[in-house]
Amino acid sequence: MKEIESFIGYQEDIIEAIPSTILVVNRSQEVLYANRNYYIRSGKRERDVVGEKLSRAFPQLLMEKTNIEEKIRDVFLTGIPFDGDQLRYPDGMFYFYRIYPLKGSDADAKSAVIFMDDVTKLTRLEEELKDSYIKLENAFEELKENDELKSEFISTASHELRTPLTVVSSYTEMFEEELLGELTDMQKEKIQIIHAQIDQMIRLVEDMLDALRLESKKSKIQKSFVKIDDIAANVIADLSRLAGLKEHTISLQVNGKIPEVMGDERRIKQVFNNLLTNAIRYTDPRGHIAVEIEDEFQQVRVSIEDNGLGISKKDQKRIFDKFFAGGGGTLTRESGRMGLGLAIAKGIVEAHQGRIWVESELGKGSTFFFTLPKYD
Amino acid sequence: MVDDAPYMIKALRDLLEAYGHEVYEASNGKEAMVRYAEVRPDVVLMDLLMPTLDGVSATKRIMEQDSKANIIVITAVGKSGLEKDCLAAGAKKFIVKPFKTKELLNSIESLART
Repeated sequence: MKEIESFIGYQEDIIEAIPSTILVVNRSQEVLYANRNYYIRSGKRERDVVGEKLSRAFPQLLMEKTNIEEKIRDVFLTGIPFDGDQLRYPDGMFYFYRIYPLKGSDADAKSAVIFMDDVTKLTRLEEELKDSYIKLENAFEELKENDELKSEFISTASHELRTPLTVVSSYTEMFEEELLGELTDMQKEKIQIIHAQIDQMIRLVEDMLDALRLESKKSKIQKSFVKIDDIAANVIADLSRLAGLKEHTISLQVNGKIPEVMGDERRIKQVFNNLLTNAIRYTDPRGHIAVEIEDEFQQVRVSIEDNGLGISKKDQKRIFDKFFAGGGGTLTRESGRMGLGLAIAKGIVEAHQGRIWVESELGKGSTFFFTLPKYD
Repeated sequence: MVDDAPYMIKALRDLLEAYGHEVYEASNGKEAMVRYAEVRPDVVLMDLLMPTLDGVSATKRIMEQDSKANIIVITAVGKSGLEKDCLAAGAKKFIVKPFKTKELLNSIESLART
């Protein structure tokens, strides 16, 4: 082909088109050839370089740092290419250099070619990446430390609160029992309020510790065979007074025969309690809450559906985080709530190797689901 | 009653005296050992975290003094494993604060009868 023939004359042009710096040396390490890029970058002229020792072609510092003469010797000796290394120039540029033996008709290489590529941009990027990684790692460590400190603080605070709470609740009970003298009806009524509020405080302290315990994974759940449908019925009965205050109806539908699962009865009760209390709380009066329990292949699935306020897509992502009590006007923050109920429910379900999630539309209601595996 | 929190002692003294019990106090484990030898009470209510000598060690020492001692541990620390340690040391009951006064009274009365 004519095209191929005419191309042969361009070989030199092709070499000059390569963006690398190229030098060819013989066994005595004298320069036989340097490409245009070399002259452009070094500012040297052909007569200063060709026929001269390699050490005249490169700055002394580079010769020492790279030990290039020894590497070239090795390439000639073994015939194996030197696959490359990075070199930092004093001006801040980075080069990657490689040495290949050039074999002519003889088996032994008479000359070797040195390629040098500017990898400054790539190296900078690599360094930035490393820097960012280290920064990220440090930030992560810091966050973890903060979280541990926070947990420690909550744990200490909760424990320190126990003794004063015991003192106050003991005296309250003594007043109620009239061990400290007879009370008027009005005093009795107020003491009952104090008592109820102290019980609420105690529950909050227990919730804080529960949330921490379940998070630490150290918590042990005490498993035995439990009947989920019975637990659900019990919790619904316990909450009927609270639901009645808002004239809600709560229904329980059990689909088929639900097998017993291995679980911690007290903890599973807590999951039902927390989910149902939320449903009651965040549904306008005369709402309906439907609890459904279903036997699915290897697990039992529970759903708790309400026709309440609903949860925005944004809040759905964070709703199981501890201390998240809703925002953006969807769930208004109520006093006495610390945003721990769902975090605790999640901790318990996950400690049972189950799953918990929510489906909801703002203004239409929410359905919380959780599963508990049937077997250990 | 062994506790280093003065109001805790006062509240329980008021409660127990109202039910006709006699109450003796100690504010740490070491004092508790001395008082136990003097008074030989029917029941000891033992806090756990106290200066000088902690509740678990004090329980052990009192049990060495009197193998029939009735010790109820009352603690603010609800750590798992702690209950086992206390029972192993010889305590008869382990009660976590805050408790219902009825719960404590029942425990004391059932032990005092033995």
